[in-house]
Amino acid sequence: MSGPLHLVLDEITAGTPTLAAIARRTGLSDDVVRAAVDHLVRAGRITSTELSLGCPTGGSGGCTSAGNSCTLPAALGDRRPGLVSLSLTRRVA
Amino acid sequence: MTESTRLRLTPTTATPSSAKACCDTSPQHTAGTGAPVVALVGAPNTGKSTLFNALTGSRVTMGNWPGTTVEVSRGVWRTTLSTPSCDSEKCASAHDGDPLAITLMDLPGAYSLDAHSPDEQLTRGLLQDGPFNERPDLCVITVDASRLAHGLYLVSQVRELATRVVVAVTMSDIAAQREVTVDTAILSRELGCPVVATDPRRRTGVVALATTVRTTLADPVPDPRPAPLTDDALVLDDDRFTWLSEAADMATVALGHDRLTLSDKVDRWVTAPVAGPVLFLAVMWAVFQLTTTVAAPLQDALDGFFSGPVSHAVTSLLALVHLQGTWVEGLLVNGLVAGVGMLLTFVPLMGLMFLLLALLEDSGYLARAAVVTDRLMRTMGLPGRAFLPLVVGFGCNVPAISATRILPDARQRLLTVLLVPFTSCSARLTVFVMLGTVFFGKNAGTAVFGMYVTSVALVVLIGLLLRRTLWRTMGTEPLIIDLPAYHVPTLRLTGAVVWQRLRGFLKTASGIIVATVCAVWLLQSIPTTGGQAFGQVPVEDSVYGVAARTISPVFAPAGFDQWQTASALIVGFVAKEAVISSWAQTYATEQPQPGQTGLLGDHIRAAFEQSSGGHPLPAVLAFMVFLLAYTPCVATLAAQRREVGLRWTILGVGIQLATAWLLAVAVFQIGRLFW
Repeated sequence: MSGPLHLVLDEITAGTPTLAAIARRTGLSDDVVRAAVDHLVRAGRITSTELSLGCPTGGSGGCTSAGNSCTLPAALGDRRPGLVSLSLTRRVA
Repeated sequence: MTESTRLRLTPTTATPSSAKACCDTSPQHTAGTGAPVVALVGAPNTGKSTLFNALTGSRVTMGNWPGTTVEVSRGVWRTTLSTPSCDSEKCASAHDGDPLAITLMDLPGAYSLDAHSPDEQLTRGLLQDGPFNERPDLCVITVDASRLAHGLYLVSQVRELATRVVVAVTMSDIAAQREVTVDTAILSRELGCPVVATDPRRRTGVVALATTVRTTLADPVPDPRPAPLTDDALVLDDDRFTWLSEAADMATVALGHDRLTLSDKVDRWVTAPVAGPVLFLAVMWAVFQLTTTVAAPLQDALDGFFSGPVSHAVTSLLALVHLQGTWVEGLLVNGLVAGVGMLLTFVPLMGLMFLLLALLEDSGYLARAAVVTDRLMRTMGLPGRAFLPLVVGFGCNVPAISATRILPDARQRLLTVLLVPFTSCSARLTVFVMLGTVFFGKNAGTAVFGMYVTSVALVVLIGLLLRRTLWRTMGTEPLIIDLPAYHVPTLRLTGAVVWQRLRGFLKTASGIIVATVCAVWLLQSIPTTGGQAFGQVPVEDSVYGVAARTISPVFAPAGFDQWQTASALIVGFVAKEAVISSWAQTYATEQPQPGQTGLLGDHIRAAFEQSSGGHPLPAVLAFMVFLLAYTPCVATLAAQRREVGLRWTILGVGIQLATAWLLAVAVFQIGRLFW
């Protein structure tokens, strides 16, 4: 039987679009799903990227309203609302 | 009285033998040799240091940043025993008949013993890797009641060690605000160790914790929690999560668990497959309509200010120093004042646009829009992760090209690099707004919105076309988006974001425009025929005018073959920010036709009227589509070359120019049948 981490990874692989949807589909609590995702991010199995139309540090510095993709600095629960993408980290066999 | 001090340990010095050895080096800050040593551990922000201060009476601020020196605080915890009905310090002091001094160590915040950070390395070294007889006698693990599962992973790992554990549940008040309560008795049963609820800020539960710790210290070391014998880290971690998930579920009572939150209810519509895209389009239409409607009068006023009083003032100043009518006046008045002034007229518009987008972003709505857009792209067979750089492209194409590096597959990266130039960056927005205001009046917002819809359609259609021709076997990469709860935007944060983006726009655009203005002025000053002096030549006879006239017939089928229009497109190849300034510069040297006010909009309207044979609206739409689809700027080309090489960059330019020309011709030829 798969544990919470496998369930969450399976949902991400299947393309479930949001954490709330993962919680609904797996039957896990929202707290456990978030803890699992945080753990998978720390373990390097998921890549977490925060997106903004313009990061505070700017983009290339060579364009107006420079956007950029920024590395998520903290755990999911510690940040302000924003656009965060989570994707499977490709591992070298 | 209690005492405490702070040790500075680096991970390399945090050898397993450090736990007790370190505490014997400074007797004035320990409970003395032979006294029990208790380690206080827990994830960051779980109230661990606050609890340490409450227990030792000292005030310590912990720094937990990776890469800095790891701090370990220690102090003397003078414990007392409480009666079942007594749990305050005052009450306990009345029963202070059996005090016991404990050396308390405040270890750095750690989510786990997995040693992902120097702090976790240190904690692991002290609790797990060292000799058994030099480890702390007991671990108190702080766990946030409002995020119980987050803290229990560390508990699961420590419970696998042969050590005494007491769990201190903190932040119960915050959990209560979220309608979550934790039953410590059930949690204790599930975890197999004592659990005490404590609030160190209000100093409640402190004596109960002391009593529990002393009782546990008197007990033998419990058997470790059995873990599966496997080398597969994921299987091992999953076993811990199964254990903690069951414990958390059993011990947590969530009153609002079965109720949908307001965010959930809203999200059902906002992220729905059909209603979501419709709502997203409506929101973006409202943004553009509001922007153009509110900003247009301000923009007109600023335009009149720069083309009137400012230009006249500079001309008057030049007359005072006898430079009126010279090339200096041409450069300053027709070049810099006209070009930079035109840029400044866009400040209200860009400021309002950035404000509205920042509000949408800070409120959490853009995250929902991302779900909608991502779903659409995956439906079309495009890689889901390619959505990320494309979103950035609507701000600026250059960092969007760089952002394609997040795509692991080279073919996905290449495809996305070729698609990014079709996303409508903010530099194009200035041209769209100006033309929309001049030609469509109150419907300018709808016209601009139409360009953004066209941009999305181009990305999807070109992407599908390329996939079906070049990369038929490309797979898609799964992607998930975290949806934060809706949030009331804060004035400080929103203001800072707007200012940062507006400043970036002005800084970059002004540099580009000043450089382009000087280059355009130079080309407009060089005569192509003899008998005319430098700087004294009519623009149409200059190198600039002749070159533009040579190219302009290409645009005749699209209805905008005026040489002034063609020249703006040539300048726009360098950077779209310079399109309007070059127009302003070109028309500033021309005398207005009868019936014209001399404003830039009148010149442009007349040019399209003439070149389109009386069909200016389809012609200007064709021009806007061409501007949207052709090469964004030289900086984007440089970024593309860096990412995918010269050959693909040239192919990309070819695709952009061909698409732009064909679409523009189609829009004009079809549009002229109706307008």
